[in-house]
Amino acid sequence: MADEGGIYKRMATYDKRWVYVALFIVVLGPLINPIGMPIGISAQTRHYKAELDTLQEGDIVFSTWNMEFSGYMELKPGVLATHKMFIEKGVKLCIAFGHFEGVALPPEIFKQLKKWTDDYDYTEGEDYIIIGYVFPNEAAVAALAGDFHANVRVDWRGESIEGTFLDEIQNGGDFAMISDYTTGLATTNIIRHIVLEYDTPMVVNSIGVSVPGHLANLDAGLITALLASTRGGAELEFLIGSPGPGLKSMDAFTFGHYSLIIFIIIGNIGHYGWTRRSGARDRTGIR
Amino acid sequence: MNEFLEFAAVVMGIFISFCMYTTLYGKPNPLRSWAEFSYLGAGTGVSVVIGLTYIWNTAILGMQAGDWILIFSILFGLMMLFRVHPTYGYISRLPLAFTVGTGLALSLRTQIFTAFIRQINATIVKLWTNVPLEFVYRVTIAVSVITILTFFLYTMELSGPLFWTSRVGEYLMYIGFGAIFAQTFMGRLGLFVGYMESLTTPTWKTPYTLASALICLIAAILFDRTGLGEKLSAG
Repeated sequence: MADEGGIYKRMATYDKRWVYVALFIVVLGPLINPIGMPIGISAQTRHYKAELDTLQEGDIVFSTWNMEFSGYMELKPGVLATHKMFIEKGVKLCIAFGHFEGVALPPEIFKQLKKWTDDYDYTEGEDYIIIGYVFPNEAAVAALAGDFHANVRVDWRGESIEGTFLDEIQNGGDFAMISDYTTGLATTNIIRHIVLEYDTPMVVNSIGVSVPGHLANLDAGLITALLASTRGGAELEFLIGSPGPGLKSMDAFTFGHYSLIIFIIIGNIGHYGWTRRSGARDRTGIR
Repeated sequence: MNEFLEFAAVVMGIFISFCMYTTLYGKPNPLRSWAEFSYLGAGTGVSVVIGLTYIWNTAILGMQAGDWILIFSILFGLMMLFRVHPTYGYISRLPLAFTVGTGLALSLRTQIFTAFIRQINATIVKLWTNVPLEFVYRVTIAVSVITILTFFLYTMELSGPLFWTSRVGEYLMYIGFGAIFAQTFMGRLGLFVGYMESLTTPTWKTPYTLASALICLIAAILFDRTGLGEKLSAG
């Protein structure tokens, strides 16, 4: 039997698993053999860096890791680049998690920051304190924002936080800045109960899916700067002169986007060409 | 020993990831079931431990420090457990109602500002600035807001100028949906690229990654062709 749909039918009804195979190849290929394609730096990322540059040595920043382990994979470049800046500036960090998977992140992140923590003698307890999973819901965020020490007595290892730099923090308004890394979770609660209540500046590193929502918050002045997804992280790596996973991923990113465009074009040509042969479609029963 | 354990954990992590990816093949297979249930088991275990640690750190330590009112949170938490009891399940309604009530009150008090007033304030700005590009942005936002709002006027017939503004609004929304879809694709690809980056860095991981991908793909095909996938997979 002759192929009634011809090339158009094949373009419209090919096995979708080939898309996955193609994506694996175009992503893994450039990661194994990076090409080093050029990237542009957006005004948004420059603004994010400028906001971080306003911090002074000794400022206490609330670093809120509102991400699961999967979300960290997308935000990793931004997380690492931002924390490198914090360490270089001598900023004190209070690190909190918004998801129980957060407990797996500090060993992974600080292993990658080891060179910086060693070079700047940046130590846990003295320069940064991890208070652990403290944002199970909105009530917890509101309570912590109003009275920090009534809600946080120990760090994630169970050691008392008394006598540390966190003694200076009484409520959400005492932080110089909130630096949020988010897949959603407690971020809106932090905006509502700390930013709105105490006018604390907040910068956000968001996954791509949530960027449109955070752009509205940026426009409304609820957050002061936004770093968008892996791409933003890669741009920040470039700006601070410290190449990392973001810049390495950009080739794969670019090829991934090209492949989507190609698949959209193939699918549309196939659909248009095959739709015109509606008789053939009716006979084959494939829609 | 520690180094070996770390190495074994990484290799196992890589393999289990690709077992999970076999779901993309579209047919059931035991590798995916194994990976899925391992994740569920580990995830549940971790969440229980972290949850209990949170209760200890906030409620128990709080009470030890003299904050006795926290006893109510423990009692309410225990009452919540009755939810699974067939006869006394109603006891859980009280803490549930309290939780919903407090959550709603906390949320409503601030949401009116973050999601409504501040967003409207940000839209009502003077159009003209000295920066031409900024002027274009502001005009675009103003035109989009007005025309899209007219699209959602349901209580009158859209005729005359309103018909045209609603049509413009409709097409502007399509542009917006396109931008959101592109952003979503970028985000999803970001998750995938980020994970693949971690599976290929440092470079010693690459052979294990490629081998795992190949083994899982071949296994998925074999399970499908032999019909064993359906028999051996759970759920």
